[in-house]
Amino acid sequence: MRLTLLFLTLGGPLVQSSVMPMLGFAGVAPDIPLVVAVMVALRRGPEAGCLTGFFAGLLQDVTGPGLVGIQALTKALTGFVAGFARVRFTVGDPLVQIPGLVLLTVIEGLLRFAVMRLFHFPGELLEVMLQVILPQALFNGALGALALFGLAAVDAVRARG
Amino acid sequence: MRIRRYALLLSVVLVCLLLLTVQTRGTGLGAVADGVTLTFKPVQVVLVKVHRGALSIWSDYIDWKSARRENAGLRVENDRLRVAALSVEEARHENHRLRRLLELREQLPIATLAGEVIAREGGGWVRALTVNRGRGDGVAPLTPVIVPEGLVGRVIRVRAGASVVQLLNDPVSTVGAVVQRTRTEGLVEGDPSGHVRLKFMARDGGGVAVGDLVVTWGAGEVFPRGLPIGRVVAVEDRGSALFHFALLEPVADFAKLQEVLLVTGQTTRDLATLFTRGG
Repeated sequence: MRLTLLFLTLGGPLVQSSVMPMLGFAGVAPDIPLVVAVMVALRRGPEAGCLTGFFAGLLQDVTGPGLVGIQALTKALTGFVAGFARVRFTVGDPLVQIPGLVLLTVIEGLLRFAVMRLFHFPGELLEVMLQVILPQALFNGALGALALFGLAAVDAVRARG
Repeated sequence: MRIRRYALLLSVVLVCLLLLTVQTRGTGLGAVADGVTLTFKPVQVVLVKVHRGALSIWSDYIDWKSARRENAGLRVENDRLRVAALSVEEARHENHRLRRLLELREQLPIATLAGEVIAREGGGWVRALTVNRGRGDGVAPLTPVIVPEGLVGRVIRVRAGASVVQLLNDPVSTVGAVVQRTRTEGLVEGDPSGHVRLKFMARDGGGVAVGDLVVTWGAGEVFPRGLPIGRVVAVEDRGSALFHFALLEPVADFAKLQEVLLVTGQTTRDLATLFTRGG
């Protein structure tokens, strides 16, 4: 299981930086490391979600052009919140998880915007919200639905075995 | 457990803030970033290649599917157009045949009746066809049946709505005939193999040659005079035998007949000139 976590933590950013830009639609691509962090958090709790988000975000920061630490921070916090929600609320139903993922993407986007504003990011919130955060949230929701479907299939196979 | 959870969160946040602070103070993370980038670069390259390969395969598959669908559509369209072209061609042929038949009918000085072939009988025993004209149309036994090329045969059986026509190559068919060029008289007979031949007396037939046109004699009052029957394709010299034979190629193609004229009237006129084109 730890190996799977490691694979997901490292694989998410790698896929994000190599494949996702080509799959983007209208300039927006889903944030796979974030989806991974939230999915891990929903299944394994806040600590796993936080660490997955942190390392995945850190890897994205390091391999990307921006400041190192921003995505590590926002994704770690998002992973933690998702895991925390799992502890506090009933979030086992996909009909809760998918909207939750969309909402968490919006929260992560807002958080990221806030941190980047501290470092003189020039964009306006409304503009970023409409052109980046919301489309990405919807994209993540779709991707999350696919991921949940895949996980359910894996679980079913395991249960049979 | 709960403290550990929050401690982890706090640590992560602190590390991030520390990283951000270090960078804003000008002390970059260049070396660390370079190291990480170098470490992961091969994996990223492989991923991109795999992705491009997958995209290429997918694209090829989509192209193949599209080509297959297009191919199937084109095949259907092709079949449809072929059928349409065939029906147009068929209509053109029919039009041509009927026009020729009509022209002949208008030129002939005797009453005729157009009929359509509705059945055929082949094989060695009987060679006949059935036309859709019968007793009610005024058709009588022995009525000659012609096409624009010449003689086809005669009606041997008349029924209510149809008539059976004995073809010239029927084994029991005989027609009084004459070689147009030499005026050699003889009998045109069918035979079981489907050939048509002219039987003539040896003493009269010295001049019969390949290519000669054989027409109806017209002496028996069954067939009008001068209806083309066929052209000589071979002369069978039987030495001192009383009769010689000339193998004929009928002017009418019995296998392709679709419309015919039934000659219901009588005439003593030689009709050969009206058939020059066909004969």
